Amino acid sequence: MSYGSTPVLVDVNLTVVEGAGVCITGENGIGKSTLLRCISSLQSPDAGEIEVFGGPPGSTPEFWRAVATTVEPPTWYPGLTAREHAELVCRAHGVDAEESGVDEALERFGLASHADAIPPSLSSGQKQRLTLALILLRPSKLLILDEPEQRLDPDGRATVAAMIAEYLAGGGSVLMASHDDAFSSAAGMSPISMTDLHPVQA
Amino acid sequence: MTIPAVSVTEVRGWVRTRQAAHKERGETLGNFYFALLFIAIVGGMLHRQLAVVFWPSVPNASQLAGVSIIVALIGGLYIALRRLGPLALSRPASSWLLMAPVSRRVLLLPSLGAAMATAAMTGALGALAIMGHVLARPLAEQVVALPLLGALAANVLLLIALAAQADRWWSGLSDNIAYLLLAAGLAGLVVDSAVHAPRAPAGWPPAGSVLPVVGGLALVVIIFFALAVRTLGRTPNDRILEAAKTAGTLADSAFGVEPSFVTDMLERRYWARRKLRSMRLWRRVPVLTAQDLLLLRRRPRRLLWLAGGAALPSLFGSAPGWVLAIAVVLGGMFAGGVTTSNVRTDTGNPWMLRMLGISSRDSVLQRCYVPVALATIWYTAALALLQILGELPAGPWWALGIVLGPVGGVAAVRKARTGFVNNSILPFDTPMGSFSPGPLLASLAGVDVLLLGVPTIVLIAQGNPLDLTGVIIQATLSVLAARAYLAGTTAKERVELSGP
Repeated sequence: MSYGSTPVLVDVNLTVVEGAGVCITGENGIGKSTLLRCISSLQSPDAGEIEVFGGPPGSTPEFWRAVATTVEPPTWYPGLTAREHAELVCRAHGVDAEESGVDEALERFGLASHADAIPPSLSSGQKQRLTLALILLRPSKLLILDEPEQRLDPDGRATVAAMIAEYLAGGGSVLMASHDDAFSSAAGMSPISMTDLHPVQA
Repeated sequence: MTIPAVSVTEVRGWVRTRQAAHKERGETLGNFYFALLFIAIVGGMLHRQLAVVFWPSVPNASQLAGVSIIVALIGGLYIALRRLGPLALSRPASSWLLMAPVSRRVLLLPSLGAAMATAAMTGALGALAIMGHVLARPLAEQVVALPLLGALAANVLLLIALAAQADRWWSGLSDNIAYLLLAAGLAGLVVDSAVHAPRAPAGWPPAGSVLPVVGGLALVVIIFFALAVRTLGRTPNDRILEAAKTAGTLADSAFGVEPSFVTDMLERRYWARRKLRSMRLWRRVPVLTAQDLLLLRRRPRRLLWLAGGAALPSLFGSAPGWVLAIAVVLGGMFAGGVTTSNVRTDTGNPWMLRMLGISSRDSVLQRCYVPVALATIWYTAALALLQILGELPAGPWWALGIVLGPVGGVAAVRKARTGFVNNSILPFDTPMGSFSPGPLLASLAGVDVLLLGVPTIVLIAQGNPLDLTGVIIQATLSVLAARAYLAGTTAKERVELSGP
């Protein structure tokens, strides 16, 4: 995978077994986000093979019902509050908003007092919390998270780390890129350096 | 600590000098020459059409129509002024000079002057057009001062809008009054077309009344202007910054030929000002339809406009039948567009669709229900009203409205799915210069689907009594169109609305 004449990912070999949590670390520009985008099917590699749950990643509803990601920036529907976004996501996945604990999740992420706000009016940290709340509320088998600790305060980081750890304990798989070793460790992730994944430096 | 004030004129002069250093010699004069040449060429090409708009050979509108247009223009111009600011700075000036230690009044005065000149021009042209269409000829000498009256009236509106810009409570009240005036003016036009109101009598308006009104308005403008200049420095920063963003977005939209910039800005501002309370999505309908219904419930004023808008096609009652037919068919597409901002969001960035894990086929189907229902109700009301007003012959026109609904609804969804204008298409060389087809293609999105309403257009244009055969033909075409649109532009194996 290269941008113009600059190689970014060369001979990368990574396997994440089901139920495992892997955190990719490495300096800026080394290709962590590009790798996550390729695995999420949001970017096509120039060559090579990627498999997610035994098949190529794609844009099918089945793929996106199994995989939830924060690799791309979120978008919000006009005229829909934060809580209604959460209810919409739950209903689309056939789960009841009350039963899946929408209000508890918003409370846990510190968004209960902003449940009636439209997401664009929230701060960048609150938007990040809402994005993670939506991802963790809906059923999925794999989370692909790009620096989920970004823009979060220390309390927020601890909450998200605990919820990722719960997700792993429930049998889900997580692939994440992060610069925060303490966060990744609290989330129960196994760290792996990007330099160990590809032998050729970008 | 006292910070010495800096002269705005000096700062602006310094900026202009630095900007001029990057320009070629005579560039400004060249731009001026090309602007004049452009106006001369366009004026030469369109002078006949402009004459029809502003000064037809014989007056062709009634007195009621004239008064209605005046009322609608007052409402419409005020709303436009409020949307634009009316007091705005350029984006660079709002970033660098608004927070600088310069006199706010001197900084904002040129903007006020430009706004007043533009408003005066608009008011004068509006008055000229009303004179040309309504007043019996020959005109009395004093009536010739009516464009001046229009210019002064527009400036009174501008100065009221300026006061409203500095006061949120005032702004809400004055906006509501302006919307009411616009609605009343349009209603007057509908009544005029229904009753065929009489032409203005000779000597209306009384020549003796024009000059005193002009004098009175001039006095009001002078007083309001003096008050405005006195309080200009106290205009809140946020209102000026908001107006600067509006001006910048309009400029971006014009230069990039991308109307969605303005649509998105208006949408964002509308919801930013609303105070919402979370509600439960209706469980008995598909989830995305429930979301559309919630959005519909939160836009009651838009629904009111739609209801009133069902009477607007009657304005084309005296126009050729095909004009009336096209107005009806287009109206349904706009009616169906009340909730399609959700489709625009999904087209621009499919993140939420991926989060929801719904196929494009299912999502477009669920998103079509509300637009189709709105278009159906609008078409039914508009055609039934046209029949009641005697603009259509006998027949079950309401039934034609019901079966035309899917075409209008699908056209609204198709328009929302267009996304950004494609400016990468190679331009055509024409004798008039280079022509980029991207904006034209984008403007036709949705309208192409309306071609499936051709049976209705033909039936209205012919002016013959309607029988069930026409209704059945349109019904068949509408169902086929909706099914073909879904099958051809969506897939069960893809969540994104646009194809690979």
